[in-house]
Amino acid sequence: MSKIVILGAGISGHVAAAHLRRKLSKEHEVLVISPNSNYQWIPSNIWVGIGRMKSEQILFPLAPIYRKKNIGYKQAKVTTFHPEGDIEVAKPFVKIEYVNDEKKGQTEKVTYDYLINATGPKLAFDMTEGLNPGTNKAYSVCTYTHAEHAWQALNDLIQEMKQGKKVKILIGTGHAKSTCQGAAFEYILNVEQELRRHNVRDKAEVVWIANEHQLGDFGMDGMLLSYGNNIMKSSEMVEMVFEDRGIKWIIGAGVNKIEDGIAHYETLDGEYHTETYDFAMLIPAFSGHGFKAFDKNNEDITEKLFKGFMLVDADYTPKPYEEWSVQDWPETYQNPSYKNIFAPGIAFAPPHAISKPRVSKNGTTISPAPPRTGMPSGITAKLVADNIIDIINGKKELHHKGSLGNMGAACIASAGYGMTKGSGVSITTYPIVPDYHKYPETQGRQLGKTFGEIGLAGHWLKLALHYAFIYKAKMKPFWWLIPE
Amino acid sequence: MTQRISKSKRFYMMNPIIQFFKFIWLSIKIMLVVAGGHGGTRKANN
Repeated sequence: MSKIVILGAGISGHVAAAHLRRKLSKEHEVLVISPNSNYQWIPSNIWVGIGRMKSEQILFPLAPIYRKKNIGYKQAKVTTFHPEGDIEVAKPFVKIEYVNDEKKGQTEKVTYDYLINATGPKLAFDMTEGLNPGTNKAYSVCTYTHAEHAWQALNDLIQEMKQGKKVKILIGTGHAKSTCQGAAFEYILNVEQELRRHNVRDKAEVVWIANEHQLGDFGMDGMLLSYGNNIMKSSEMVEMVFEDRGIKWIIGAGVNKIEDGIAHYETLDGEYHTETYDFAMLIPAFSGHGFKAFDKNNEDITEKLFKGFMLVDADYTPKPYEEWSVQDWPETYQNPSYKNIFAPGIAFAPPHAISKPRVSKNGTTISPAPPRTGMPSGITAKLVADNIIDIINGKKELHHKGSLGNMGAACIASAGYGMTKGSGVSITTYPIVPDYHKYPETQGRQLGKTFGEIGLAGHWLKLALHYAFIYKAKMKPFWWLIPE
Repeated sequence: MTQRISKSKRFYMMNPIIQFFKFIWLSIKIMLVVAGGHGGTRKANN
């Protein structure tokens, strides 16, 4: 009998738990530890942030599902890792602290045979002075509660605009190294459409601010994609959409301080600027959780497990951008020091960025961090689950591999909500990390598999995925037929 | 605001009948890309 402990119940942790439970017999224990009581379908947060969906539509409580499916669940946060056990406990364990009402503050040592670290990122608002959701007129859509607050503030502003007030809305990244530009991109297009729906578009100046050196970089070095019969750069596609919607943009901008209605930022040319606003939605930097790890003698071994995020089978040798390759990226997400620990999804430490790093004249790195959200999180979680099952069944090697350099991804970006007035920008990319050796003439990606489409069908598709993935996450009949 | 999308293209983008077929086409194409498999990179390139 084996005990598999999964830290986190986001897309990655939940997918791993679901597949492990489905494929392993009942003698094996699957236990999820998460401080969150609800599962949330994060890609739909942007619709909560424009008031077109309620939080209840994008979340459900975890405990009843896990109880029904015979998956253990503790509402707690992990505090320290002990991969060799300690003087009292021979088996490896994690120390957890309960956060639910009945046991709040109590700690426990939870032993494991296999550990999946799917703790995702820490939303590091504190890395930007003054950036705290709901203060200084700046908001976030990173969680459903943040998105609810964003909608309340935006709705208040729309009411003021209906009285004739002219406003400026600033949306984008709130730190020089933020990632997840895609979410901000979706939000700005949705907000712009909602302003038109409320007949107040002429009262608002809508501005995009981002750490990308070019529009459409998305932390992926941009992409060359098929668009109808044409071949287009993602920068051209986003520029076309922004100009058509009357959205202005500031790029190569590292936001470093937020005051009440004022964003301070530095640009790649080394200049310092400010931008005023009446409502802002800024994505923070993502960071690791700052976990500590200890050996059996209680010596600090954090560097064997973490480099901000968790170390896995990547090549972390520092090297210049010109020498980066897809082979640097991990394939199995297994920790090299402790083979029974894995880190799929956002929890693994990337070997380097995907976009070319850029530094301002003042030495400030202003460059997007690599995105690892959504679909790749699900795929990497499933392959980790499959490898653990193989090991339990006696296989010696890890056969399931999934490098971001050999994996496609779809980004269905909502560009406005509505069954007849909605729109979506559908982009697929293959591979996620560009392979400049394999596809030297198409910016590291395979055309055809890397394509873009804009239109109403994109909105329907995003909506269909919303319902399909919530169905899947609830583990309803034949859920496993829906791909990650 | 600069018109960057022509009226005919906009009609194509927002016409529910055309977009219904586009929805089917996109669903299949995206499925082929994302469910088309994944793997490592090291052995294949070494």
